[in-house]
Amino acid sequence: MSKSPGPDRKDRIAVGALAGAFGVHGEVRLKSYCADPMAIADYGPLHTEDGTSYSQIVFTGQAPNALIARVQGIISKEQADALKGQLLYADRDRLPPLEDEEYYYSDLIGLAVQDTGGNALGTVRAVHNHGAGDLIEVIGSGKSATILLPFTRAVVPTVDLAARRIVVDPPEGLL
Amino acid sequence: MSRSVWKGPFVDAYVLKKAEAVREGGRNEVIKIWSRRSTILPQFVGPTFGVYNGQKHIPVNVTEDMIGQKFGEYSPTRTYYGHAADKKAKRK
Repeated sequence: MSKSPGPDRKDRIAVGALAGAFGVHGEVRLKSYCADPMAIADYGPLHTEDGTSYSQIVFTGQAPNALIARVQGIISKEQADALKGQLLYADRDRLPPLEDEEYYYSDLIGLAVQDTGGNALGTVRAVHNHGAGDLIEVIGSGKSATILLPFTRAVVPTVDLAARRIVVDPPEGLL
Repeated sequence: MSRSVWKGPFVDAYVLKKAEAVREGGRNEVIKIWSRRSTILPQFVGPTFGVYNGQKHIPVNVTEDMIGQKFGEYSPTRTYYGHAADKKAKRK
């Protein structure tokens, strides 16, 4: 356990949360937000909002909706209970490298969306996958309604992470 | 009890008509449908359908492995915003 700057940095991503104590021997209930729940242990050190870092997580079992783990620095039930609800953040550069045409949701969220004519359409609010491919949810500035666009090369020909923008060419009837 | 085989898969007639029209026209447009109960047939593979979820049309790119399912299975009626964490999107 160590102290470091908090999670209000863009290079940190929430990967899980502490959900209280499990038993009386310092084990914690851990909620993982990762695609593979066990992968959260590979992204250490994990940081909490108050800047505390936990470098080692060892899974000891499973509970309903949570993993049971021993976290370095947490040795009592009181310590574990005190951390209940704390989000755990991983450094962005701890995530594994991506293949071609793969993007982390966290990299896409917040990008500016333009059409092929350069007109601003809004920003990416979320990325969904309902089983028929990835969809980006775009929200226009000052609007409450969102539009969903398939994340395909035909509809999203340009993803420029450096310039923080994507260019979309939606088919008729989507906008 | 499952549906009798002799009846064939159920599809609302207007879905077939719209898909046929778009295929013949060769236009790049979303086929808006309200029929969540229609079965996905082999002739639907390729175009993008906008399947109504009670609020808006969710784009569904139909692929071969979706044949035999219903359109509604790919257009959820409730939205869940989880944490992005390490989830990846692949541009196809």
